[in-house]
Amino acid sequence: MNSVGEECQELKRRYDECFNKWFAEKFLKGQKDDPCQPLFKVYQDCVKKALKDKKLDIEQMEVQVMGTDNEKQPPS
Amino acid sequence: MRIWTSEHTFEHSWDTVVTAAWRKYPNPLNPSVVGLDVLDRSIDAEGKLKSHRLMSTSWGMPGWVAKLIGMQETAFASEHSVVDPKNKVFTLNSRNLTLSNVLTVNEQLVYCQHPTDPNKTLLKQEATVTVSGLPLCSKLEKMMTDAMNNNANKGRQAMEFVIDKVKKEARELTTEAHKCMDNVLPKTSSL
Repeated sequence: MNSVGEECQELKRRYDECFNKWFAEKFLKGQKDDPCQPLFKVYQDCVKKALKDKKLDIEQMEVQVMGTDNEKQPPS
Repeated sequence: MRIWTSEHTFEHSWDTVVTAAWRKYPNPLNPSVVGLDVLDRSIDAEGKLKSHRLMSTSWGMPGWVAKLIGMQETAFASEHSVVDPKNKVFTLNSRNLTLSNVLTVNEQLVYCQHPTDPNKTLLKQEATVTVSGLPLCSKLEKMMTDAMNNNANKGRQAMEFVIDKVKKEARELTTEAHKCMDNVLPKTSSL
């Protein structure tokens, strides 16, 4: 599976591998300690930078528009 | 406005289904999902795993068409999910980010352990659509529900595909482990 940032590909692969293993073997069996945090931090920083470079502001996109005053109105 | 709901039972345990759900993409049945990134992940005070993911999808149209109509080639969707391991409930909420000032499609999936059979998992899906200033006419609504049914079927097939893959890997690992043991044990018993 690809990452939104091509440069984050390898970091994503390593994090996903760590997460999938931890999730199935530890989290579902009651262990909450997540050893993948350091890998995640590096991967997350890369993704944030890639989004910035692509000018994608996720927070802004997530702001509720429909049903609020920001909703585009049909031309009168 | 809620336009579509669906229920499905997987003949696999909740643990298996949820583990496979994280590995759902890529799969041959959903080729338009081209990217998936974890934006945030944490475990809350109650031990629930919360994740926020960004999904990148392609329209499946050639680049020149996209340019012609002024569309970006990649569309984005945001997914928030919660895994509750104690109660065996996995809830996902996703909605489009692209075109969200015109139309919002919100989809919710809930995977929970089957109420009467712990070896089965129940999936309940629901979609709501909000369209900018226009009532959702019945033809458009029918198109969307047909598309959702189609995608839901593909999604379920994709899940079965991934569950199969995960189980096969587990079987192969067990076979390898047995082989190792068969090799090692006779040698150690002679020590």
